Amino acid sequence: MEQLIKILENINPDNDYATEDCLIDDGLLDSFAILELVSALEDAYGIEITATELVPKNFNSAQAMWDMIQRLQKN
Amino acid sequence: MQYVSLLYLLVFLPLALLIYQLLPQRHRWKVLLAASYVFFFLMSKQLIFYLFFSTVSIHGIGLWLDYCDTAAGTGTEEAAAAKQACTQKKKRILCYGVLLHIGLLLLLKYSSFFEQNLNWLLLKLPVPVQLPTLKFGVPIGLSFFSLQAVSYISDVYHKRIKADDNLGRLALFLSFFPAIVEGPICRYSETAQVLYDGKPLAYENVTFGIQRMVWGLFKKLVIADRLNVLVEKIFTNYRDYSGILILLGAVCYTLQLYADFSGCIDLTIGTAEMFGVRLPENFRQPFFSRTASEFWRRWHITLGTWFKDYIFYPLSLTRSVKQIGKKARKKFGRHLGQVAQVFLPLLAVWVCNGLWHGAGWNYLFFGLYYFVLILLGNLWEPAAARIAKFLHRNRDGVLWRVMQEIKMAFIVVTGELFFRADGLLTGLTMFRSIFTGWDGAVLKNGSLMKLGLDAYDFWVVAIGMVIVLVVDLLHENEISIRKEVAALNLPLRWTIYLGAVLLVVIFGAYGVGYLPVDPLYAGF
Repeated sequence: MEQLIKILENINPDNDYATEDCLIDDGLLDSFAILELVSALEDAYGIEITATELVPKNFNSAQAMWDMIQRLQKN
Repeated sequence: MQYVSLLYLLVFLPLALLIYQLLPQRHRWKVLLAASYVFFFLMSKQLIFYLFFSTVSIHGIGLWLDYCDTAAGTGTEEAAAAKQACTQKKKRILCYGVLLHIGLLLLLKYSSFFEQNLNWLLLKLPVPVQLPTLKFGVPIGLSFFSLQAVSYISDVYHKRIKADDNLGRLALFLSFFPAIVEGPICRYSETAQVLYDGKPLAYENVTFGIQRMVWGLFKKLVIADRLNVLVEKIFTNYRDYSGILILLGAVCYTLQLYADFSGCIDLTIGTAEMFGVRLPENFRQPFFSRTASEFWRRWHITLGTWFKDYIFYPLSLTRSVKQIGKKARKKFGRHLGQVAQVFLPLLAVWVCNGLWHGAGWNYLFFGLYYFVLILLGNLWEPAAARIAKFLHRNRDGVLWRVMQEIKMAFIVVTGELFFRADGLLTGLTMFRSIFTGWDGAVLKNGSLMKLGLDAYDFWVVAIGMVIVLVVDLLHENEISIRKEVAALNLPLRWTIYLGAVLLVVIFGAYGVGYLPVDPLYAGF
């Protein structure tokens, strides 16, 4: 989780990722940032994120992203 | 029958509401569906066939996709192989579905554009050959319900939703009468079931819905339709004008488009609200945007999200595009590499966005104009951040913000000039003529009064726009005027409601001297 927060801060340091749970709904991460994040997550965790996963519920908070990463690592 | 017509406002809608409320809840969706098909038929007559065909085809495709999943099963090795085969089959079914709907859209909306350009090229041949002209009737809302149809089958394919076995619910989702002409472009997961539920009419929903509709009528009838007179005059006779007057035409068209489109969306959302249905918002104070990409997150929001979800993300995440990104990041660093990865998907989005608005080179130019602006904006962003830091400038400060908003206003007005112009060459001529014959005297010598509007009209538009600006400012600061008004005591509240209706009736641009103006986005 710490590594994930670091990745997020690297992409956009303006958000408080520990508490924010509407990153997509409130437009705090735009589509460019999302794609940058996808690349970083794929490299860091050895997963493949497809377009199907790009829904707000998977990216609205650091916890939601973490859940998605763990799910994809199991598959 | 337009949304602003008396037939719609005083007969069709009240009748639909009355029958809806009188019937038992389980039958109410049928009233909405019948009203939607009657509305469509009144607008497009026999072209309703296309809507019906679209509905039946996505119903079948959805069920077919679902069947593939259930047939594949889970668990055993055999099932895994079947699943693999099923994935391939599902891909093919999705392709058929998308090609069918996009093909239909291309055929009906763009065939004459392609044909004209092809004929122009064929003329260059030593032995000129010409293709015969094909003319198709285009049903209302084709560009809107086609996108909803594609989003439905795509969501079923990606298992975001289950295929609907109820043809009626799907038909209602695709045809819901308040949204069929200009959107907003709805998603099945958010809208279909709410429409089908047939909630009883509620006092709060009905009053809030009427408020929203009156606000929409104000923007459409008082501002947009009045500005139409001046815009028509300048854009039709653009050779007679230059300098300030062409710029005025472009500014007025931008305001007209905003007041018209957002006003019609208010009418749509207000109507749906009366039935207890919340449709997605399509505008969020677009003129407070600071960048081109922010503008498109605030203007025609549902179109932007559709392109993002169904073109931009899927293309950006294909293996080949990801590979481009990886190589570019290694070579040029993180930021440039990321921009390289999104280059092609972004180009695809903006070509589609431009052409979605219409079959013409000026629309393609309009799309590419925003593609370049957004790409440059992203390339420039790290440098801008460094410069601001070096200069100790707060990029969120009021002055900086206002300067960026003014810059965006110029960008938007320029884009809308090409958007409205009758062809790309006309757009270029008009744009060039802004910088020639710049004469401030036209503001004083009575030239303004020869544009079809008199001083009274200019004052009404100016005051109307100030009201829109104040409301947008309040919304930007998350102040809900509707809730504030609803909290007032009964006499005051109803005085405001009736006053608003009277404002529209008295100052609306209809009758002698004004032409009825169809909703501008209905043409797209």
